[in-house]
Amino acid sequence: MSSLKELQDLIQEKYGLDATALGPHTSMLGSGVDSLALVEFLFDIEERYGISIPDNNPDLDTLAELAEIVDRLRAAQTAAAQ
Amino acid sequence: MNEVVVSGLGVVSPHGDDAQAMFDAVMRGESAVQPVFPDLARPAAAATVAFDERRWFTKLQLPGVDRVSQLAVAAADLAVHDAGGLTDVDHERVGVYVGCGMGGATALESAYRSGGRVPPLTIPAFMPNAPAGNVAMRLGVKGPVITYSVACASSAVAIAEAAKALRNGEIDVAIAGGSEALIVPGVVLAWQAMMTLAGFAAGEAARACRPFASDRSGFVLGEGAAFMVLETAERALARGSRVYAQLAGCGLSCDATHLTKPDVSGQQRALRAALKQAGLQPADVGYCNAHGTATKIGDGVEAEALRGVWGAASDTLRVSSTKALHGHLLGAAGALEAVITVLALYRRRLPPNAHCDRPDTSLGLNLVPTCGAEAPQVQAAISSSFAFGGTNATLLFTRT
Repeated sequence: MSSLKELQDLIQEKYGLDATALGPHTSMLGSGVDSLALVEFLFDIEERYGISIPDNNPDLDTLAELAEIVDRLRAAQTAAAQ
Repeated sequence: MNEVVVSGLGVVSPHGDDAQAMFDAVMRGESAVQPVFPDLARPAAAATVAFDERRWFTKLQLPGVDRVSQLAVAAADLAVHDAGGLTDVDHERVGVYVGCGMGGATALESAYRSGGRVPPLTIPAFMPNAPAGNVAMRLGVKGPVITYSVACASSAVAIAEAAKALRNGEIDVAIAGGSEALIVPGVVLAWQAMMTLAGFAAGEAARACRPFASDRSGFVLGEGAAFMVLETAERALARGSRVYAQLAGCGLSCDATHLTKPDVSGQQRALRAALKQAGLQPADVGYCNAHGTATKIGDGVEAEALRGVWGAASDTLRVSSTKALHGHLLGAAGALEAVITVLALYRRRLPPNAHCDRPDTSLGLNLVPTCGAEAPQVQAAISSSFAFGGTNATLLFTRT
């Protein structure tokens, strides 16, 4: 199951950006989420899911890309727990 | 040398964010001090700010912006608005001069209490120059943007440095003041340990700070931000700006004797330097907004310093410390008290030396009564700030 909807809810709650303001493939930077806001958003996601997002995604700029990474990490987390 | 005038005032204070209304509340002797953190082992009191950050920031603008920067942005914005904006000046010729003693205490406290995972923006949130940087970004200021961390004299020094830059023609407009927001449990505990805070009985927090009273026992902490727009008199005249007062003299000195113990001669050097720069005699100055922290030693030293400089004119200098009402804003104290001093001159009303039912007559000061005073003749006033570290700052304002 994709984390996209949850990430959309999370960024709306945190920064007031709803799906019309920030679609899955819209540039976050272009929507006002600068590097400082992004790093805090990533921190919140890590806290929420108990994951650690690797610091090797310099081009990460959309919720869809982020959801893909989060899905992969959560799947690995589930697999490790089994 | 250019003359420097005050053309805008902005505060986010324990008495609200309208400078004139704040002054009215101070004149009425309203204390903004109340109990805080009931869970602490010893009773604590502080004057805090009712601040709605959503009025000044979107959620997207808030990451990494500590409360100390939020208050600074709001107060500086209010000051610039009060001065009529910055539309008619080259922004490279505008400077921001900010006093801040500690920086983002909330961010630091949150990091300590995070249970291991420290929020990633803790550093940019708590660094002491963050308020200045945030003010510059908000207002688009591209000239010198400088932070002065000189403990309790921080923002008085910032205002003095801004005035110097204006006098020397380095800039055309300065946004000068200070911000402090450290009312968090860890910092309050540290101040309690320092043994300089006022003791108080249950229900008596509002009157805990009693400067120059025989039953004084120290100060209470406060938070807030205050800024003033300074510009050359020539520029203010040319654009027809309202002018609150002239910043006629600034005096800076250092005790160079002890890190925390105040020193009469050090304070006198700052007082005399301000008078000298303004070209005034002690008898010309009718009001002193004192540093007045209400400690046994501090008030005594300040009184002796004032009496020594004013001499025979001591009786004509009326003195009050408004810290009784708004608390000690530490790095922002000099700026808030400078705003109050400017408004005292502008409105010719002297703020009360509140909570002083039993004046310490041994100090030999002509204290403003607890009901405040009308001062139709007052032409000049000083605001003093004396810091741990030994730095002393006196700002001298005159009516225009």
